[in-house]
Amino acid sequence: MGLRGSTDELKKTIIAGIIGFAAGALIIILYGYDPISAYQALFNGAFGDLYSFSESLANATPLILTALTFAIGFRGGMFNIGAEGQVYLGALAAVTVSFFHLPSGVAFALSLVFAVLAGAIWSLPVAILKAARGVHEVISTIMLNWIAHFLSFYLIATILVDPLRAEKTLSVAESVRLPLLVPGTSLSYGIFVSLLAAIIVYLFLWRTVIGFDIRAMGHNALAATYAGIEKWKIILFVFITGGLTAGLAGAVHVMGRPPTYAVYSGMPSIIGLGFEGLAVAMIGRNHPIGIIFAAIFFGGLLAGGRMMQLFAQVPLEMVRVVEGIVVLFLAVPELIRLFSFLRKIGPVVFFRSKRA
Amino acid sequence: MNLGYLWGIFLGSLYAMVPITLTGTGEVIGESSGLFNIGLEGIILLGAMTGALGAEAGGPIVGLLVGLGAGLAIGLIFGLVCTYFRGVQLIAGVGINLFAAGLVTFWLIHLGVPGHHAVPEASRMVAISTPLGDFSPMIIVALVLPVLTYILLFRTKLGLKIRAVGENPQAADVAGINIHLLRCLSTAAGASLAGLAGAYISIDWIGSVTKEISAGRGFIALATVVFSGLNPLLALLGGFIFGFFDNLAVWVSTMPAVQRVIPWQFVAMAPYIVTLLVVAGVIGRVRFPAAMGIPYERE
Amino acid sequence: MKEKDDPVEGKSDIILEGKGICKGFPGVWEHLILDHVDIDVKAGEIHTLLGENGAGKTVIANCLSGFYLLSEGQIYVKGKPVTLKSPRDGIRNGIGMVHQELALVKPFTVAENIALGLHSSDLTFPLPEVEARVRELSEKYRLYIDPLARVEDLSAGEQQRAEIIKVLYHDPEILILDEPTSLISADAEHLFDALNSLAEMGYGILFITHKIEEALEAGDRVTVLRLGKSMGTRETAKTDKTELVKLMFGEHTPVHLERKPVKSDRIALEVKDLEALAADEEPALQGVSFTIREGEILGFAGISGNGQSELAEVITGLRKATKGQVIIHGKDYTNRSPGAIIRAGVSHIPEKRREMGVIEPMTVAENVVLKDIRVSPFSKGPFLNMSHITGHTQEIVSRFGALVSDLWKSQTRILSGGNIQRLILGRETWRMPKFIVAVYPSQGLDAKAVNHTWELFMRLREAGSSILLVSEDLDEIMALSDRIAVMSRGKIVGMFDGAAAKREEIGLMIATGAPRT
Repeated sequence: MGLRGSTDELKKTIIAGIIGFAAGALIIILYGYDPISAYQALFNGAFGDLYSFSESLANATPLILTALTFAIGFRGGMFNIGAEGQVYLGALAAVTVSFFHLPSGVAFALSLVFAVLAGAIWSLPVAILKAARGVHEVISTIMLNWIAHFLSFYLIATILVDPLRAEKTLSVAESVRLPLLVPGTSLSYGIFVSLLAAIIVYLFLWRTVIGFDIRAMGHNALAATYAGIEKWKIILFVFITGGLTAGLAGAVHVMGRPPTYAVYSGMPSIIGLGFEGLAVAMIGRNHPIGIIFAAIFFGGLLAGGRMMQLFAQVPLEMVRVVEGIVVLFLAVPELIRLFSFLRKIGPVVFFRSKRA
Repeated sequence: MNLGYLWGIFLGSLYAMVPITLTGTGEVIGESSGLFNIGLEGIILLGAMTGALGAEAGGPIVGLLVGLGAGLAIGLIFGLVCTYFRGVQLIAGVGINLFAAGLVTFWLIHLGVPGHHAVPEASRMVAISTPLGDFSPMIIVALVLPVLTYILLFRTKLGLKIRAVGENPQAADVAGINIHLLRCLSTAAGASLAGLAGAYISIDWIGSVTKEISAGRGFIALATVVFSGLNPLLALLGGFIFGFFDNLAVWVSTMPAVQRVIPWQFVAMAPYIVTLLVVAGVIGRVRFPAAMGIPYERE
Repeated sequence: MKEKDDPVEGKSDIILEGKGICKGFPGVWEHLILDHVDIDVKAGEIHTLLGENGAGKTVIANCLSGFYLLSEGQIYVKGKPVTLKSPRDGIRNGIGMVHQELALVKPFTVAENIALGLHSSDLTFPLPEVEARVRELSEKYRLYIDPLARVEDLSAGEQQRAEIIKVLYHDPEILILDEPTSLISADAEHLFDALNSLAEMGYGILFITHKIEEALEAGDRVTVLRLGKSMGTRETAKTDKTELVKLMFGEHTPVHLERKPVKSDRIALEVKDLEALAADEEPALQGVSFTIREGEILGFAGISGNGQSELAEVITGLRKATKGQVIIHGKDYTNRSPGAIIRAGVSHIPEKRREMGVIEPMTVAENVVLKDIRVSPFSKGPFLNMSHITGHTQEIVSRFGALVSDLWKSQTRILSGGNIQRLILGRETWRMPKFIVAVYPSQGLDAKAVNHTWELFMRLREAGSSILLVSEDLDEIMALSDRIAVMSRGKIVGMFDGAAAKREEIGLMIATGAPRT
């Protein structure tokens, strides 16, 4: 029921994780740092105390949502990496609502709605191009990400700019901000929004007809067609729902981000959320529950990364290096089998065409 | 607008063309053999970083070679994962991008310069001075390589083998060709050109390394490959077209007159919009190798 | 043509021999694809390997040429044991194979395709020499082909000629040809002449076919393969069609199922002048017309590959018809979507049960409700009704005797082919659908399961369902069908009345592919 086969998947994730951290340790040593104190600081900074844990959860909040975007696509047999651009536009859409002086409940709701719509609209071209012209979504999403990138820069600098401080957009209105869960940290009620979204996506994929159809098409397009499922419908659903969660990520981020609740020019805090979400989705094995754990783990790495930088002087980007290596190894479908195979036969045998 | 002005734009486009053409030509080789490398962006980034370091250690030529070598190494790893280990190409490529982004930023910080590292003048590539302006020798390389690649792919037996492996690996297997090995080597060769492109950016054209120095050019190169229909000569043309728009953004940002009419951000968008339109228009008519993207199994 | 009475010329040593060859495939663990097969080819002879589809002919050819590894057994070339790990090993040992699925790179020219396999340096482009030699070989064997033509522009027959020249280019001593005449019927004479000259020069030729006439005409000896086992080798001079049919299809006492005559005269399915292309863009259906009444079973007999699969796919909406009509219960359903046809009450038990009939990574329950899930009570609005799905699946599983350990936890992939088929049967027939397209429904099932399936079909027929049955099992066709159609090369070449037809007649028509005279 979605978690079936999960022990195998878990084993694979752990193996890949171990390799990633080992490689990271190697690089750390090569640069003359101490991996043990580095990793210690890392984990302390991630889960050591309430403050750290709250920061980890705060980091995880948007990552859960962007990971869901990729995961829904993956379950449908598609490679949707458009979350990056959709997040920018979602965040800006939420900001836009604050320009109009609306009653608080309405403003809050509309911010979410606009953000979600923005994400969905930005995903439409991808879906249409794929369904109508067979354009591979990898290329179209990346192009749209970059277009959104520059469009956002423009909007931040001009239409949405804060009249008092030109380096950021207008801050989101008080009534629209998500209250803090733990005072003194960055953790807002947004985390509940993300968790709720993950649960909804789980129900969507495993408890609805359309979710069933999406998964069927993702597993076996031929059999799904045989069963009467129509591909273009699946394409539309997958990309639009992906756009919804990505837009929501942007909203939740900007509406829950102390102290300014705005987007800065250059978008330093939003850039990368889409791609990080991709890694989170892979490591969470594209399942909403796995994604929640993976996002918290990742958020922890990011929070702890700062500690690692502070105490062990290892730049926090090491975290991303580990990420990349883990994802690379997760690309191999039979990773577990590979390792037992490696132990039996020497590396010489690699360089011949092999049978399965 | 006078002729000198237009010539300046043309020259700038040539400079901008180089990384896209090099990467695109390399990817043509790789995709002809059947592997789709989305990690090009990361490889360019790594090439830029390693190239800069190499140039500072031993001069520009060394830098270019180091960048090429870095691309080769990563390309080999990608090839191995996707052939012998039956890895999913898209995911492996994403892993490479993440790894590269992290490693380059890590390196920059380690060097003590947050975010931006300018390559010292002494290590930069020396341009050839002509009365018509300063040319980088890499421009010549970028013009010649697609021609050489065309000859390789369409006028040698090796090229036949590469294309056969991408088109009908079964037939190539029957003919006694080692599918996995050839795909690995083709992808590695392609990736090495991407690494070279990165080194060119940091040592020659822009002269610095940041974590965004690749600026999506790896993906534009992928789109160029689509546009080219796996013909290196068309990849050269595509590189020039995209390079033209790429360069245009920079020019526009220096021209306040144009700024008033079109904000620079929209000009910056142009390469990506153009890419999207081209791919959407061309994709129906372009033919990819029949076995591209599918790991090969004999039974 | 070679005289049957002439003794085999040249050396009579055995040039290629396979002893005790076994081959199993991962994922198919019910039975060996090749079961202890012995075969030998003498120098200077043409040895035909005869059998129906699925008999294992292509598999053994691939084993003998190095494309597949043997699971067990040993190959000998000129008396010496060899291990063939790749096609290159095969070529090195003088074995050249012409595949049925031509191993040609379509966008390349003939010369480029041949150049691909040469041992010259990679940096050369030896096209001029290749061209010259191709023209030479064309003349020598009278297999004319233009070396500069692109393979994809050539006709099927010409492509095959190119493939043969490609193999001959490497000067093999042993030639294996897999169903070479399936595409070049008009030029078969030329091919046989060429093969005869090769045999006279001392080559050993293994010629694979499912056509009895060819086996008798072209070969010196013939070995019959059935379901992976060798049924024996005969000298063609000393055997005849009847014996070969018996060896190919087996001796069976016909099964007689109780049946009442077809009640209704109303037409459930009408197919008019249907034309369609196969996956490789060659014509698969060339003007097929027939009707099926309510409560009638029409059985399509014949070797697969003659259009039966494509016919089933067109009727169920999975393949485009280029011409003609499919009319279900009076309404035109030509080229409608699979979903529409499912809603019209058409069930489809597909040929490729693991690739199309089920989604292997999904659970048993999910697969059983694959098509029904869209309607109430399996779903209430957009939501799945889990309890109903579970209950229904439980019922289907027990009613159809599928051995499954759990409904919701493990992947369907781990089930045996037979159990998967039972699930599919359950899913496709529980509603007593008005129309069923059943393609090779009993393949891989044990005798008991086959009987159950037959009983099920008869019950459905009683209740007024119509069945379009495609099967290579002649017993099944004869037991179940009210009428029998034989397809050959995209056309119906014969229509028999189920009760009156004689097995040998049908078998002969299948094996020769010719319409009755």
